[in-house]
Amino acid sequence: MSGFAAVLRKDLRLELRSGESTLALLALSMLVLVVLVFALDAARVRSVDVAAGALWVAMVFAGMLGANRALLAERDNGAIRGLLLSPLDPGTLFAAKLAAALIFMAVAEVGAVILMVLFFNLEFDQSIARLAPILALGAIGFSALATLLSAITGRTRGGDMLLPILAVPIFVPALIAGVKASAAALAGAPLSSMGDWLKIMVAFDVLFVTAGYLLFEHVVGED
Amino acid sequence: MSAPVVETHSLAKTYGLALVLRDVDLRLLSGAGAFVIGGNGAGKSTLLRILAGLEAPSGGHAFVFGQDTRKLAARYRLRIGVMAHQSFLYPNLTARENLEFFGELYSLAEPRASADRWLSRIGLADVADARVRTFSRGMEQRLSAARAMLAEPALLLLDEPFASLDHDGAEIIASLIRGAIERGAAVIATAHAVPEIEGVEFAVYEIARGLLAEPAPKEEVRRGGRIRSLLGR
Repeated sequence: MSGFAAVLRKDLRLELRSGESTLALLALSMLVLVVLVFALDAARVRSVDVAAGALWVAMVFAGMLGANRALLAERDNGAIRGLLLSPLDPGTLFAAKLAAALIFMAVAEVGAVILMVLFFNLEFDQSIARLAPILALGAIGFSALATLLSAITGRTRGGDMLLPILAVPIFVPALIAGVKASAAALAGAPLSSMGDWLKIMVAFDVLFVTAGYLLFEHVVGED
Repeated sequence: MSAPVVETHSLAKTYGLALVLRDVDLRLLSGAGAFVIGGNGAGKSTLLRILAGLEAPSGGHAFVFGQDTRKLAARYRLRIGVMAHQSFLYPNLTARENLEFFGELYSLAEPRASADRWLSRIGLADVADARVRTFSRGMEQRLSAARAMLAEPALLLLDEPFASLDHDGAEIIASLIRGAIERGAAVIATAHAVPEIEGVEFAVYEIARGLLAEPAPKEEVRRGGRIRSLLGR
């Protein structure tokens, strides 16, 4: 547990010092939302559907950036080797990296939700509160997937390009479930009516958090 | 007689078709020091990486504390300190934060106090709150040595510990190596030439083209006699 806390504290300290990830995530989220709000005609489509889609596009981009940043610091000076040589369990390292990516993503999501409400003329009401568990499930699953994959792609040339190519298709089932559930939540439906979508997201989370915990040792190690 | 800290049998390593290590037999006890001397590409760093458990051998076996290095459990990694070409340090953390972080990873009782103690020992106490990215190569090298020795490991693997150091820096590292051997740690270090470390005895092995010669007197290694005969030249 002390190893988990030490790595997470170190990652947050590095982020607070540079602010690179959080600023980039917020800027990217804003860009996506602005583009979509102008690209789509709100008169012809339901604004809650567009808003839900825009929010998840922003979230996917933010998640990729967050996971990449969380592992990027370990590439400087071969720091990842220092961690692998230490008594730290690789599964614990994955958990700490996942937690850091989740925190970065959560900050970006809060910003993105505020922008979404403003850009799409929505109300800050119960429907926004109902988004919280849906976004949390999406963030956990996508952070776990992106953290696992960025450990692989970070070792390859052009890894930054490879991450979205690998991550987005795998995330599609959870993405569809997230968009559908978010649109329903914004339209005022209760969480109990989205059971099937939420089950898909929970299954995705369990699968990739477990896979990441068990496989991280093999993907982050030496060649 | 105590069990060896390091033991290798017919150790070999290949990268593709390149044979980097061949038939390496090495044995080291607690409180003993060994320098592996060789040129670039001789196989020194590969040998240390295998002993640290960072790479798997292609042939033969490597044991540390009696454990196969292919699967070193956390309780054995806890007892190994590694100093490599890369410092493993975080450029945007300060010197103290770096050591404190590694102190926490190694479950030291007082990571901050340990960090401060080591910063004094390596002569960096006055720049403890400066970020590592502002350090010279030599300062980073000293901090990297402190990071490797922070938890007072029973085995130290030092890859060219004197590279990039001025006279004072080299003296500091030499005193740390001497201190480690005196407290009973086994130390394996690599270098291009036989270093001068006063007050401590260490075995000197020559390595070339992945072949490790038997330990030899420093003077003979300086002449390169032992490895020449091994290579048949």
